[in-house]
Amino acid sequence: MKPRTMWTVLSLLVVGAIALTGCGQAALPTGPITIQLWHQEGEAENAAQYVQALADAYTAEHPNVTFEVTNPGDTELLRQDFQTAALAGSPPDLLWTVNDHAGPFTTAEIIVPVDDLVDLGQYADSALAAVELNGQHWGVPISNGNHLMLYYNKDLVPTPPADTDELLAMADDLKAQGVTPLVYNQTEPFWLVPWLGGFGGKVFAEDGVTPTLNTPEMVATLAWLKQLKDDGIVPPESDYNGADTLFKEGQAAMIVNGDWTLGAYEELFGDKLGVARIPTVSSTGTPPAPFTSGKFFMVPAGLDEDTQAVVVDFMEFATNQANQLNMVSVLSRLPALKTALADDSITSDPYLAGSADQMVVGSPMPTVVEMRCNWDSMKPEMLAVLAGDKTAEDAAAAMQSAADACLLTLE
Amino acid sequence: MDRLLAQLFPSLTETVGTILFIIVVTALIELIVYLVLGRIFKSRHLLVWMLIAPATVGLAILIVYPLLWEMRLSLTNMSLRRFGDKAQYFWVVCAAGEAPQGLAWLTECLFKNFVDVFRLPVLKQVTFLPVFLRTVAWTGFNVVLHVAGGMGLALLLNRPMRGRGIYRALLILPWAIPQVIAVLAWRGEFHYEYGYFNIILTQLGLAPVEWLSNPLANFGAMVATNVWLGVPFMMVILLGAMQSISGEYYEAAEIDGAGGYQQWRHITLPLIQPVLTPAIVLGTIWTFNNFNVPFFINQNELETSDILVTALFRAAFEYNRYGFAAAFAFVIFVLLLAYVLIYIALTGTLKESTR
Amino acid sequence: MTSLSPAAATPSAPARAGGQAGAGAFFRARRGDSPIKRLVIHLTLTLCCVATIYPLLRVLSVSLRPGDRLLSTSLRIIPPDASFGNYQELLADTDFLLWVWNSLMITVGTAIVGVALASTSAYAFSRWRFPGRNAGLIFLLTTQMIPAAMLMVPLYMLALRNDLIGSYRGLIITYSVTAVPFSIWILKGYYDTIPRELEEAALIDGAGRMATFWRIILPLSTPSLAIVFLFNFTQAWNEYLFARIILGSTKEIWTWTLGLQTLQQQFRTEWGMFSAGAILVTIPVVILFLYSSKYLISGLTLGSVKG
Repeated sequence: MKPRTMWTVLSLLVVGAIALTGCGQAALPTGPITIQLWHQEGEAENAAQYVQALADAYTAEHPNVTFEVTNPGDTELLRQDFQTAALAGSPPDLLWTVNDHAGPFTTAEIIVPVDDLVDLGQYADSALAAVELNGQHWGVPISNGNHLMLYYNKDLVPTPPADTDELLAMADDLKAQGVTPLVYNQTEPFWLVPWLGGFGGKVFAEDGVTPTLNTPEMVATLAWLKQLKDDGIVPPESDYNGADTLFKEGQAAMIVNGDWTLGAYEELFGDKLGVARIPTVSSTGTPPAPFTSGKFFMVPAGLDEDTQAVVVDFMEFATNQANQLNMVSVLSRLPALKTALADDSITSDPYLAGSADQMVVGSPMPTVVEMRCNWDSMKPEMLAVLAGDKTAEDAAAAMQSAADACLLTLE
Repeated sequence: MDRLLAQLFPSLTETVGTILFIIVVTALIELIVYLVLGRIFKSRHLLVWMLIAPATVGLAILIVYPLLWEMRLSLTNMSLRRFGDKAQYFWVVCAAGEAPQGLAWLTECLFKNFVDVFRLPVLKQVTFLPVFLRTVAWTGFNVVLHVAGGMGLALLLNRPMRGRGIYRALLILPWAIPQVIAVLAWRGEFHYEYGYFNIILTQLGLAPVEWLSNPLANFGAMVATNVWLGVPFMMVILLGAMQSISGEYYEAAEIDGAGGYQQWRHITLPLIQPVLTPAIVLGTIWTFNNFNVPFFINQNELETSDILVTALFRAAFEYNRYGFAAAFAFVIFVLLLAYVLIYIALTGTLKESTR
Repeated sequence: MTSLSPAAATPSAPARAGGQAGAGAFFRARRGDSPIKRLVIHLTLTLCCVATIYPLLRVLSVSLRPGDRLLSTSLRIIPPDASFGNYQELLADTDFLLWVWNSLMITVGTAIVGVALASTSAYAFSRWRFPGRNAGLIFLLTTQMIPAAMLMVPLYMLALRNDLIGSYRGLIITYSVTAVPFSIWILKGYYDTIPRELEEAALIDGAGRMATFWRIILPLSTPSLAIVFLFNFTQAWNEYLFARIILGSTKEIWTWTLGLQTLQQQFRTEWGMFSAGAILVTIPVVILFLYSSKYLISGLTLGSVKG
């Protein structure tokens, strides 16, 4: 090769190398920029404050970036507002939300996949699975879990029941003491799902979009829930607040509740709190499988380059090792970063370990938009069975036909 | 606290600024009206137009424009799958394929959403007719109880008595309380274990009621709450009307030997009718379209407790059937309008006020 | 529009024109009321009063309960461990005072604009026959029938495109304009009861139309204007849906309805503080109502009573 050609090739290679390394990071804008961040975290568990603190920490490192952090009200309001804002052409710049929002948002095409924006290999698979649709990932995991588990009051229940037979046996003693054995939110099908898993059922078929609600497993689940009520193991009517209050006041020995209240219960009960898996279903030998998801960042479509660059940088900042471990200590939530999950602070904490233990047997919450049909179909039928208005078989059949009808209206 | 102090001055300036802004805009509108209608058209009613111009402009922008927008939306198939710009008019969708002819074209290609309101479920399972009938029942029960309660209380108060002012003040309270707070307070009372009603029932030895899961009980809960909210309004109106009836009528009737009931039926009732009828019309409209009570009392989202406007809200915001919901809204509106017009025509109410 | 707002009241002609001449009409002579009957009446009224204030008292008791114990089987109004802790927490840890201040600003702005708009327009409807008058009145009535959900999305987009989001302006305009139809009906009804002779006399004396409106009609309509002010006030004070859409995520300008909403999460509500806030925001409205109750009870014409 002639020397001149060689120099040309070399210089091209050098330039190319520089370009390639520069390619991985979009240059962060230096001018003032405001990021609108919407989340659905509450103030009660210090979570809303945590989000604000993260934003403030980022601003401390990047003074040109200011955040407007808002909670539109609750999860459902966030979904509605985001859709309306996107419709009007001015969505916020970043979302901090639950995984099942990915379904409607991707259907309406108002968020973008994050595979090319962030290195997803650093996050736990279970978290990523919850935001995977059509082969792409639509959210950056922040925390892992959001799952139901069994909390118990050690004063009333020294060892938790390992399976449902033990639960039934324990129940008589507890009732004799004047204590309600178990409470849970009887109004939301989110609390039905773990038992369905325990009986071997799933809400969707293999394809992940066809509802399979009229199954023997569902019938068994409904019958089980009705049995719990009829036997006096759970109160006749109980919503979230009711169950929570009973447990907090010591009038209920055990509660099936989510990892989001771990911090609050820890604070209230101290050492008396126990965390365990929801008891295995004796007839099948399968542990109940609550839905696991977590909290995720989602990136709205249509952001300009600068905003997107800052958003990506913030997402990586918020989920770095230090912040993830900080989140564990502040919110008692399991992190999504693999390296954080393996950290000692988690493995040595009995509550977090218990939570992780439950999460392991959970199943990722489906994020497809058809899941809404499942929720909406399960709820009234489950309530009808508990109220004694329908048999489990009729309810399961009604659920299925409702879900099928709903699919048609998804247009 | 610091946020408040920081916000004090800007908020004052902004409020004043808004008022000034409106004054300026109004002046502009008046100028335009004056020039166009006064100079160019030389309208006889110039002052009238100038008086109503600002309100008209405001209503046109804030009510007429959204209505037109919704009308346009009702002709499209917008939903989550066809969001925003991807929504299409039905006739466009039809034209792309094989368009049906004649009447079928109207029902499938133009007004498909309107027809769907009646043939597809408006919520997840329930169709239009049951929800409509339930709304009618809801309105009927409420208005009857409102008028009965209001009339009863007004009759009791329409006499010299001690403590009249106190009774009046306390009985108006439900009207004064912000509606959302009142509804949430009532909902708390329907809680199975901790709610007031079940506590009383159990203390009386009766079985507690599942107010939030049982459809009939839930409907009763809704009606009870709304009656509590609505009776004060009726009471105030009827009391005022009764107080303007001259005592001479009653004296004459007593001399003639008419008893209390007859006096009520033949003197009170006819003389308060010009006030009662518009009140019933308003009460019906507000009850028919009442969103807060059915929505919040129905905590478990029983489909059997939804009335038309809550079903509309769910269709639009929970199920994302935007085009369908727009058509649904118009159907509700037209129904109510038809009822009111018929009622007004039958009772001749408007004749008085449009004279 | 979706809230069951208080209606306006205007004294009917006999009561106003006759002053207390209608006093004889006010109190139907009931010499024959036996003590038993009176007792029964008082008992009934007392029971009704208890029924009307009880839910509010329950909210009060939740607000006085320390901790977040919404639910309790105790029926006592004042819990044994009552404390003002929730109130303190609400005032100190949240932006409650800011929210109330914002509500106040927006509400006062709405009331001023609303009364101004309605009083002039109602005068036109009352005193003149012009093409479109009856249609206009019917149109005003029909606006009451529109479900709020129908207007939410287009109003939001409208506000967004005209930069009315995130400031008082959009909300004040929305509230005052949506309160206008009902206000016009009330004021028009009242104006109708003012005899035209008064204005005619002034006109003969050389005063202009608007001068008569300003100097004669308005002062005479004070009771009705007060009611319209009250109506606008409560509309704006209690409203949630439109505030949410228009004030959006700008927390500095949130009204109390938006602010208290943040205390309510999907699964967990800060009932203690929420109830405390509920009591605090109810007080001003109740005071306003009690103060203007004499106007309320004086009668309601709704445009139809003629003496």
